[in-house]
Amino acid sequence: MRALLLPLLLLAAAPALADDDDAALLLADQTKATAEQGGDWQVYTEAAVSEWRPQGPGLAVHGSRASLDARFDKTFAPGWRAVFADRLDLNRSDGAAGNSDYNTLKEAYLSWQAAPDRIADLGRINARNGVAMGYNPTDYFRAGALRTVVSLDPHSLRENRLGSAMLRGQTLWNGGSLTALYSPRLADQPSSADFNPDFGATNRHDRWQIALSEKVSDTLSPQWLLSGGAGQSPQLGMNLTALPNDSTVAYLEWSGGRAPSLAAQALLRPDDAAFRSQLSTGLTYTTQNNISFTAEYEYNGAGMDEAAWKSLRHGPPAAYGRYRSFVTKLQELPTRDNLFLYAVWKDALVKNLDLTAMVRHDLVDHSRLQWLEARYHWPRVDIALQSQLDTGEPGSTYGAVPQRRLWQALARYYF
Amino acid sequence: MTLKRLITAGILIAASANAAAAPSAQAILAASDAIRNPGKPFALTVVLVEYRNARQVDSNTLTVYSKADANSGQFRSLIRFVAPARDANKLMLKNGNDLWFYDPSSKASIRLSPQQRLLGQAANGDVVTVNLAKDYKAQLAGEESILDGDRQSRRCYKLALAAVSPDVTYHHIEMWIDASNSRPVKARFYTESGQLLKTAYYRRYQPQLGAERPTETVIIDGLDPNWVTVMRYSDYAWREVPEAWLQRDYLPRFKPE
Repeated sequence: MRALLLPLLLLAAAPALADDDDAALLLADQTKATAEQGGDWQVYTEAAVSEWRPQGPGLAVHGSRASLDARFDKTFAPGWRAVFADRLDLNRSDGAAGNSDYNTLKEAYLSWQAAPDRIADLGRINARNGVAMGYNPTDYFRAGALRTVVSLDPHSLRENRLGSAMLRGQTLWNGGSLTALYSPRLADQPSSADFNPDFGATNRHDRWQIALSEKVSDTLSPQWLLSGGAGQSPQLGMNLTALPNDSTVAYLEWSGGRAPSLAAQALLRPDDAAFRSQLSTGLTYTTQNNISFTAEYEYNGAGMDEAAWKSLRHGPPAAYGRYRSFVTKLQELPTRDNLFLYAVWKDALVKNLDLTAMVRHDLVDHSRLQWLEARYHWPRVDIALQSQLDTGEPGSTYGAVPQRRLWQALARYYF
Repeated sequence: MTLKRLITAGILIAASANAAAAPSAQAILAASDAIRNPGKPFALTVVLVEYRNARQVDSNTLTVYSKADANSGQFRSLIRFVAPARDANKLMLKNGNDLWFYDPSSKASIRLSPQQRLLGQAANGDVVTVNLAKDYKAQLAGEESILDGDRQSRRCYKLALAAVSPDVTYHHIEMWIDASNSRPVKARFYTESGQLLKTAYYRRYQPQLGAERPTETVIIDGLDPNWVTVMRYSDYAWREVPEAWLQRDYLPRFKPE
């Protein structure tokens, strides 16, 4: 009897794994993962079909797009790096007038890291500033950088644009850095030719910029910018982020300096240069179930107030058209006060499904853009469905967009 | 000296010798930290494989450069995503609660809140490259034999760790450390309310950078035990990480060797 009991007692005393733990360790035993090697090239192709309905009466317009996007980044000798990024968009639409092909030479530059803390770059560079999400007043090199718009998602607008030709130097130290760049005038006019590198869009004036970051405390590291160039007064900029609590990031982006209003620039009105500010400030809050909400207030001191906007909208159409086209090219806000809301839900209900919603609300004319995206991804393939709705009075910021309702379905393959 | 005094002195000496022989809970924890984390700046490759209900749903490869802060002792890391293709070359900087994400395509540096980090794969990095002895007060909760991640029975110190500052990811942790060699065997991570967030098994010990270190961590989600993440480490190397690199402005520049 004793001989029988002893093994049982030993068995009871022996350590054991919980069932869940055992199952997890079995999975780990069977895991055959090996580290993948990163390549120098990153390439994807995208196909999209769209349908949009105009504001007011009219037939639906159908379109399609094929895109090829390539990025190359190689360290070819110790301290030397070559970067090249290019995108080709072939757009087809009902009627030949809708056909347009654009090649966007986003970046092509050489980088030399002379020391771990000293770097120089030369070539076409997408030099981007700003901590805000919907409107970046300190992103001085965004003006003229868009050849074509494939999506109104702010991430896409930042990604699919032209860099500017420049020489850039950066020095870094513990907790800070100083960057200076010079971007020369290379051409007089933008080009709409399919494969033109379009330096006329990005390098029409001599420009320069200095950026200084310095850590103030463990959690506060503001960035100061000074930007200027031929035919403009220097503009001062600032970027600041903070963590009010574990779930929230707060940010403030500001730019200010002496400048004429957008109206004076677009409509060749008498110079009304004065000190003007642009500002973008907001919060991103993340819930426990992985939804991030961003609310951002945007102010453009060079944009139109309610009275001026009303007068322009009800004035000569040519002046209105010129103003809108000028402001769009600069990626500026036509009016003074705007609100931007953005929400992303990663792994929404099912793994690998991301839902994104965006609202741009013009606080001056109360027009609104609403944009929704559902995106599902596999290791190499994305599929997405996007919907856009522009509402507002005729001539308002979003009421004047030709498309009232737009649907776009796309598939992307990563090579 | 009376016999009584001699005996008392003898007992005291024996007691103090005993006290010296049994390491303090904090020292046990620090010794186990040193096994997980090399003592000098280093680099490694991490493969994360994620399972839901025993089905693989995700796989990522990351390159990590890490360096301990001379003052706080905590690790600061530069992380580059290698795979999948969608995320290739995206970067992350983790310096305490200062967390930045950088996408080379859009050139956007985005600051993340600890909550966003907690929800992403990066949170699992906390289970690995973190000096627990710096952020937690350890108490010896007992000694027990448990099965380790390789199903071997190990005599372990069981430590109860309590956060010393509120800004750490986990409020308290239970940790089992091999009594014979200070290797971390298993840990359970909890919220303030006592909710189990995750269980980690440290396993597949191999000689790496001068010590036997775990080359795999198996993480089981506390709420959903069918959510399992396997983290496998390879390509260990000593890599100097200049202080100037551990900031947002260096992210666009970071390219691992």
